[in-house]
Amino acid sequence: MAYRLGVDVGGTFTDLFLVNDESGATQFRVKTPSTPSDPSQGVLTGVRRICDEAGIGVGELQNILHGTTVATNAVLESKGARVGLITTQGFKQILHLARSQTPGPLAGWIIMQKPDPPASLADTREAVERMDASGSTLVAVDTAQVERIITEMVDSGVESLTVALINSYVNGAHERTIGEIAERLYPGFPVTLSSEVLPEFREYERALTACMNSYVRPKVQSYLNHVQSELAGAGATAEVNILRSDAGLMTTMEAARNPIYGVLSGPSGGVAGALFVATKAGFKDILTFDMGGTSTDVALCQDGQPTIGRETSIGHFRIKVPAVNVHTVGAGGGSISHVPELTKALRVGPQSAGAEPGPAAYGKGGEEPTVTDANVVLGHLPPSLLGGEMSLDVEAAHAAVKKVADAMGLDSVEQAAEGILAIVNENMAGALRLVSVQRGHDPRDFALVAYGGAGPLHANAVAEIMGSFPVLVPPAPGLLCAIGDLVADFRDEFAQTYIRVLGDASPGEVADILDTLGARATKWLEGEGIAEEARTVSFSADMRYHRQGYEIPVTLDPADARAGLAGLEERFNQLHEQLYGFRMPGTASEIVNLRAVGSGSVPKPELPTGSAGGADASGAVAEEHEIVFHGDRLPTKIYDRAKLAPGNRFEGPAIVTEFDSTTVVLPGYVAEVDTNFNILINPKV
Amino acid sequence: MTTTTDELRIAEIPTGITVDPVTLDIIEGALKSARFEMDAVLFRSAMSPVIREQHDEFPMLTDPRGRMVVGQFGAYINEMMDDWDRGVYPGDVILTSDPFKCSASISHTNDWLVLVPIFYEDELVGWSSQFGHQMDAGGPVPGSLPTGAKTIFEEGIIIPPMKIIERGVVQEDVLRLILNNVRLPEMNRADLFAIVAGCRAGEKRVMELCERFGKVTYLAALEALLDRTYNAMKFLISVAIPEEPQTFVDYIDDDGLGNGPYKMQLTIWREGEHAFFDWSGTDPQALGPINFYLSEGMFKMFIGIYLIMVNDPQILFNDGFYPLLHVIMPEGSLLRPRYPAALGCRTHALARQFDVLGGALCKNAPQLNTAAGYGTSPYMLYSGWDGQGDFFYSMEILYGGIPGRPIGDGMDGHSWWPLFENIPTEYLEAYYPLRIDGYTTVTDSGGAGLHRGGNGVEKRYVYLEPGEVSIHDDRWLTRPWGVLGGLPGGRSEKILKRADGSEERLPSKCDHVVVEPGDMLVYRTAGGGGWKDRLDRPVETVVRDVSFGLVSRENALAGYGVVLNDDGSADEAATEAERARQRAERGDAPNFDFGPSLEEVLANCKAETGFDPPSPARPLRWSPLEAAADALARVRAGDGMPAPS
Repeated sequence: MAYRLGVDVGGTFTDLFLVNDESGATQFRVKTPSTPSDPSQGVLTGVRRICDEAGIGVGELQNILHGTTVATNAVLESKGARVGLITTQGFKQILHLARSQTPGPLAGWIIMQKPDPPASLADTREAVERMDASGSTLVAVDTAQVERIITEMVDSGVESLTVALINSYVNGAHERTIGEIAERLYPGFPVTLSSEVLPEFREYERALTACMNSYVRPKVQSYLNHVQSELAGAGATAEVNILRSDAGLMTTMEAARNPIYGVLSGPSGGVAGALFVATKAGFKDILTFDMGGTSTDVALCQDGQPTIGRETSIGHFRIKVPAVNVHTVGAGGGSISHVPELTKALRVGPQSAGAEPGPAAYGKGGEEPTVTDANVVLGHLPPSLLGGEMSLDVEAAHAAVKKVADAMGLDSVEQAAEGILAIVNENMAGALRLVSVQRGHDPRDFALVAYGGAGPLHANAVAEIMGSFPVLVPPAPGLLCAIGDLVADFRDEFAQTYIRVLGDASPGEVADILDTLGARATKWLEGEGIAEEARTVSFSADMRYHRQGYEIPVTLDPADARAGLAGLEERFNQLHEQLYGFRMPGTASEIVNLRAVGSGSVPKPELPTGSAGGADASGAVAEEHEIVFHGDRLPTKIYDRAKLAPGNRFEGPAIVTEFDSTTVVLPGYVAEVDTNFNILINPKV
Repeated sequence: MTTTTDELRIAEIPTGITVDPVTLDIIEGALKSARFEMDAVLFRSAMSPVIREQHDEFPMLTDPRGRMVVGQFGAYINEMMDDWDRGVYPGDVILTSDPFKCSASISHTNDWLVLVPIFYEDELVGWSSQFGHQMDAGGPVPGSLPTGAKTIFEEGIIIPPMKIIERGVVQEDVLRLILNNVRLPEMNRADLFAIVAGCRAGEKRVMELCERFGKVTYLAALEALLDRTYNAMKFLISVAIPEEPQTFVDYIDDDGLGNGPYKMQLTIWREGEHAFFDWSGTDPQALGPINFYLSEGMFKMFIGIYLIMVNDPQILFNDGFYPLLHVIMPEGSLLRPRYPAALGCRTHALARQFDVLGGALCKNAPQLNTAAGYGTSPYMLYSGWDGQGDFFYSMEILYGGIPGRPIGDGMDGHSWWPLFENIPTEYLEAYYPLRIDGYTTVTDSGGAGLHRGGNGVEKRYVYLEPGEVSIHDDRWLTRPWGVLGGLPGGRSEKILKRADGSEERLPSKCDHVVVEPGDMLVYRTAGGGGWKDRLDRPVETVVRDVSFGLVSRENALAGYGVVLNDDGSADEAATEAERARQRAERGDAPNFDFGPSLEEVLANCKAETGFDPPSPARPLRWSPLEAAADALARVRAGDGMPAPS
């Protein structure tokens, strides 16, 4: 019996989902409180419980697939390692100078808060060495000098080292030499080489990304060791794999070495899960909408594939790692609304009440009007959540939102609450526009998949702005991420920078490089134990017009490349036109990077199904309330999601509640439950 | 606008319609995203590193009357279209690069400005516009910013407002004529179309807003947004601008032709809810290209943004408040030069203008009270023919010390202009025959203060092919001042170290410096002034700065009174005594510290900088300076303001 376990560690709950690949229908779910001080405890508790429920021993687990936010939290909470940076002579201030940018508008420098870089200037040293832009050594590495600076840094208490040298993207030999010296002096000491983490040009971004890797590395390493030893102690022999930010899997060894690849492990699990559920439901083009307490993550997936970007933001920093193109906006249930005295405009966020004190309605001392409070005032969030876990303080919410009504001179608190929702919905729609319209996609061709604590509350309204239907609300939002861990394929990228104008590029050479990269991908897949029939290797070239600064990935098969590069050029021209509205046929196009992506598919679990229950949903009605929509107080049925059966159909206005989420169906819309218990919301015809 | 009116229908601004406040805020948010989308499209598709890497470009959306509803610089459509007689149709794209034909909305010929009319239901509902800095616009020196230019004719091709695309058809002959006059025609062509693509993105978003909310609601919302800014500014003016006139003076060091320093003087005062900004007392226009033809609208926008920055930075800033501000710039002055003045090197006065504005405003707006920064946009241009006989040309804008600020230290080696970025060394080395020997900051160049001024930049360029170099910089003579007990920042300097071991200093403004392979230019920009009492800076912060290499041990003592032990820690007792000694010696800290007086600076010029002092600025024969009283009367009459009682 091949049991595989998906484990997602969230801020509040750890979700686990167990499947048996040989009989896909055998499934178990467990939800257990997270243990932030040592997340491995929550994981272990969950693993034991789910194995008990399944009646199997922990030793019978074949594979444990894990999405973790340890790296993310280390960055967000500034609790990473003390990082030492070795760079080229003359560039000690590389992180200090950054890209020299100050924020807009004019005079934005007056209020700019500059974040401390991951490696302090006091912990940065210049190595005597220099590589030129063609990859030839100008000044060889001075071994004695390098030994001295490494010793100096380690002795002073540096916990993790980065080597980031000018032009190492062309030739990483000097970085490797320095890495070897460090290994010789301090065997096992964590050293990150920028040319290995990110072999791409632009020294600041590469150095920053490598330093961020060093910054999170000791924490992630110790966490993974902990999880593995605890599991081993419980009798597990399974291999643990970690979800990467690009929704692929990596081994724990790789995750401990290059943890930065997993810095968005959590959100990418959500996207992978949402995409899997949506694809099963027949929707291959989706926008994901994950709204939590402080922020909302959105992403676009087309033709059953997530969009993978090469850059992502984490905390104050923009780092370059392959990641699901998740765009985050500071709008969530805890976002605080305020009305500046000067302009009397209604602003929502980016300040958030967070978990402490939280929205006024949580009764933990919060007094600022949040998005959650607006939902409570309008009745979109019922005062007592089903299951009786937590009841909401309606009066406190009312008092908080009244502050907004007073400041704006509005007649009613409900009006202010609807205003807050309208603004926050617009902010989130702005994020969805960024990943869709601004990248040349029409949002009306996409379904909107809502999850996260607050996603289903707002999804219908946001979809109305975007024209993205149906809205698909899968059951149990926490579970979705655990499913995402389970359905992720093994994935790794093998790239080489190769800057050539197409006219100067030799098709044979390009094909040879791709073949070499492909062979590396295949070797890696073999090493991961992926069966031959489950392996795929795809190829692409990052292209731009000569001297543009940003590249577009264009697919390129080695065999086609060998026959000539005209097809590549035409595909690039077409993509450029699609993205930016014009092409430049008279201008040379240029290859920047060649890339092979190896992926190994894993068996996909079945989703829970139920037998059809007919269109009548009245059996699931728990209560009925008067709830405010667009200024009107309308009688609204509250449904218990656990009682909804496939085939049930009901019209908005309606509210559906479940353990960790609430779904709003607006007037003028109709909801239907599909065979996998998803709620699909569409405009009423 | 004179148009063939039978063709062009300009949408009426609806009156008497109230847009509910939430819809208003939504439209505000959507316009803001549209503006950033315009940026994003241009960055991603442009070729010139000045636009793409450094972000020297500016988008704008206007209402049907040409008033800016979102953007940075204020509207220029009406001035530009004043004597337009060729009609405006859907699909038209208008291009210009002539500062004298668009009321200085662009300030030199490198800026190519594009206008796209936005039509909805056959009516003009607004304009989408964007301009970007082209790497080259022709003329005698690559980059088209000759430091020795005496007229605009030496600054490349001057494109009057004209249709480059008419009803969707690119005017290829005209475009060919233009591109035939520039050094990098392919790049200019690409960047032009990238700018157009950015404008189209803005156009699309406006049309969607009309569709979504209805044209009438959309237009009424624009009006309400203009009103919102008007009201906000009315309040800010009343608290920030004193009735009693405040005057502040600072200088541009020289004009590149040996004249200077040029005085910039601003006097501000308030009459009721109206504020006056009077540049009378500013020196006459220069013969050299440092004139900054300052658009009145743009200057109003600068003032407004400065004032509103700290109050509601999320506001969609627009021109609604223009009627409240009155700007006096005498004809024939450095800021209102007459045609055909040379304008290429206007960034010195552009930056200094903010120093002067900050100095004049700070009496009543202490939250804005910062010191002065590096005060210009330092350029390095390098061109020639490589070993294969191919022409190469690179241009880079450097940064410097940000002033000490109420919120904290000035950033070291950052850009005072928003959103600009430096060019990666790996980009420079991959595409140009250049090697960067080092990119760092100048230790001790940040003025001491409770909040330290930022250090200037030191960049060391090694040239790998024979070629010519140009330099544009300032603050080599006068210093970026400190405030309230902060010291001035360090001055800029350039040293050319020849491959043969010899060294020479280069002036801050020069062209045609011949370089050979292996020659190294050490380019140091100015620092920022310090903010508040330097002797109050926490000792541990000074210790940290020394350990970072940003402040020397010597300057820890001289600038901050901090005595360091051999291991880098502070000797607390000795520090306390030293600080007491320095306090007694100094007495009360001055409000503004400019360093030595201008007379002393000029007297010591040769000894300190190696260069002769510039000769005093004089009016040009062909452009007499308008008298202050005449200029004030002209503006009062033009703005319909009564003479003061």
